[in-house]
Amino acid sequence: MTQTPMTGGRPADTRDNAAAGGLFSRMDRDVRTAIALFVISFVLIAASRLLGPNFGSLAQMKAILVISSFLMVVAFGQQMVILLGGLDLSVASMMTLGGVLAFKWVGGSDMAVVWGVPAILLITAALGAVSGIGVSLVKIPPFIMTLAMGVILYGVTLGFTQGTPTGQPSAALSTLFANTAFGVPILYLMVAGTAACCFLQMRTGFGRKIYALGTNPTAAYVAALPVHRLTIAAYAISGASAGLAGILMLGYVRGVTLTLGQSYLLPSVAAVVIGGTSIVGGRGIYLGAAAGAVLLTTLSTIVASLGIAQGWRTIVYGAVIFVALVLLRDDLATLLKRGGSSRKKQP
Amino acid sequence: MNHPASTSMSTSSAQLRPQPWYRRMLSDGTTIIVAILAVLTVIFAATQADALSGSVLNDILNNSLPLALAAAGGTLVVLTRGFDLSVAGVVSLTNVLVAVYGGDGPWGALQGAAIAIAAGAAVGAINGYLVAYWNLQSIALTLASMIVCSGVTLLILDAPGGNVSDFMTYTLTDRIGGVVPAALVIAVVAYALWRILRRTDWGVGLYATGADEAAATLAGVPVKRVKLISYVLAGVCYGLAGFMLTAQTSTGTPNAGDPFLLLVFAAIALGGTSFAGGRGGVAGSMLGALTLTLLQKVLFSTGVSSFYTGIFQGVVMIAAVVVAVVFARIGSRGEALA
Repeated sequence: MTQTPMTGGRPADTRDNAAAGGLFSRMDRDVRTAIALFVISFVLIAASRLLGPNFGSLAQMKAILVISSFLMVVAFGQQMVILLGGLDLSVASMMTLGGVLAFKWVGGSDMAVVWGVPAILLITAALGAVSGIGVSLVKIPPFIMTLAMGVILYGVTLGFTQGTPTGQPSAALSTLFANTAFGVPILYLMVAGTAACCFLQMRTGFGRKIYALGTNPTAAYVAALPVHRLTIAAYAISGASAGLAGILMLGYVRGVTLTLGQSYLLPSVAAVVIGGTSIVGGRGIYLGAAAGAVLLTTLSTIVASLGIAQGWRTIVYGAVIFVALVLLRDDLATLLKRGGSSRKKQP
Repeated sequence: MNHPASTSMSTSSAQLRPQPWYRRMLSDGTTIIVAILAVLTVIFAATQADALSGSVLNDILNNSLPLALAAAGGTLVVLTRGFDLSVAGVVSLTNVLVAVYGGDGPWGALQGAAIAIAAGAAVGAINGYLVAYWNLQSIALTLASMIVCSGVTLLILDAPGGNVSDFMTYTLTDRIGGVVPAALVIAVVAYALWRILRRTDWGVGLYATGADEAAATLAGVPVKRVKLISYVLAGVCYGLAGFMLTAQTSTGTPNAGDPFLLLVFAAIALGGTSFAGGRGGVAGSMLGALTLTLLQKVLFSTGVSSFYTGIFQGVVMIAAVVVAVVFARIGSRGEALA
């Protein structure tokens, strides 16, 4: 597509861009996008102080970060798939399935976490792998494969629960979200998890192969990369991360519904794309997707507390996404350098 | 159904040597969807006594027309290799607009249709301009415009309501002269318009742009304008879909368009249009919409528990695409050698 070649966004070439200029413009474009998104989120939270004394506090910032953990987890898997030029529309049902199974198996006993969580992750990964097999071996378009998978899984969950999920909340999972003397455990896990995900993408052979395959499938095939295995792995990761998000959700909400994951489907795609990942694949980093997840959560939290009609709230929500897209369309740094005139010259 | 121009530009060299008719039929997505439709109709006729009566057929056509129109619009964007998620927002918006501002009688309906078309075209123009000229990613941008549209919808009507004239509710969903369903006439007119548009510079440029944007640019296709027009026409289709949905449900519901989001893309995929752009057409998508509606009726008529209808829908979608992929591969075997 048109946007890739000039700024060359693969994570490996972070150092190549280290030419002259300020610290900000020396960084890789994708990192800049991520930082810009974090800054926008921070500014939004700070500005919400104008709404009332309860807003813009450190406690609220923490609360928003905790809530964004679910979207961050889903967005990781979604991004792995989008990096291959695919799309995973089954994440909503997968997340619900993860939550429902955790409610049934993990709830009640803390020991059950030890076997229950890995079992659920394996199941959701296997179901994701089925989508991967459909996409890669049978050549079903990802859009239709994962859409159908989502519809099927929803039906299975509905039949499995006969309409009402049964089980118990899990005390062990809930401690992740509790305030302790050292802060909220999930926040540390989020930082560690983000670091691990970035490491996986940028510093492992698997990560680089994913970028190679997403950038040019033909070249990846010629270079003897295990194209099918990589594709299946990406969809399996997406399934497992959606399942994990469902499990975490049980810890936070202390209960599940059959619509648990529904509100995460479009935001998971939006977080990834706002975070600078190209929908055609091959470029984008997890830090961006994580920042996109934080921005979207911040936005929905603050917008929900605005004292205006639901319609206006929705419009503000959409408009901020829109503004973020327009602002981050080109390099933000070059945009600032050019003093806001933004028409990109086509070669 | 079968015409050389509907296959992608990249395969046109293979057409220098005429292919056997069965190959051409198999590689054309519409053939598959017609076959699936036929199978479903047989099952439906076998499981429901009055399945082939005029009124039941009219119902099915009425139920599928909004989705068919929306899918036709979505196809125009998918052909450019884009995604247009704004369909859900525009259908809700126009549904509410028509229910609130539509008047009585034929002229009132015309006024409603004009409002719906104008609203759809306006949203489409914004989407198209930003995607084509500002290089924004279509999926993210149209997601934002979908959200903004649903916000505007809530401002116009925050709970189901509105006032739909008897003309729209009854005459537009009835059979003309007691024989031909109005829904069928509208669908055929929409398809005929598409056949004409496809012969224009825009139509040719549309397939060229979707198949290979760089090559199309070099060949002198005004790629940006082609994309802009695609989004505008798509918006018009969504507007009409919202209008017909209002006639069918005879009410304005602020989230009426939500189910359209994924169904539209399912219909497009079933109809054999490639999400990689440049391949497929409107006929397949409209038939795909009809298939999805009929599938729901069949699941109901065969007595599948409502808990499991989702499973069947998903399996049929995958099966249909697998069949299409397999047949397309058989059909294109000759191309590789040519």
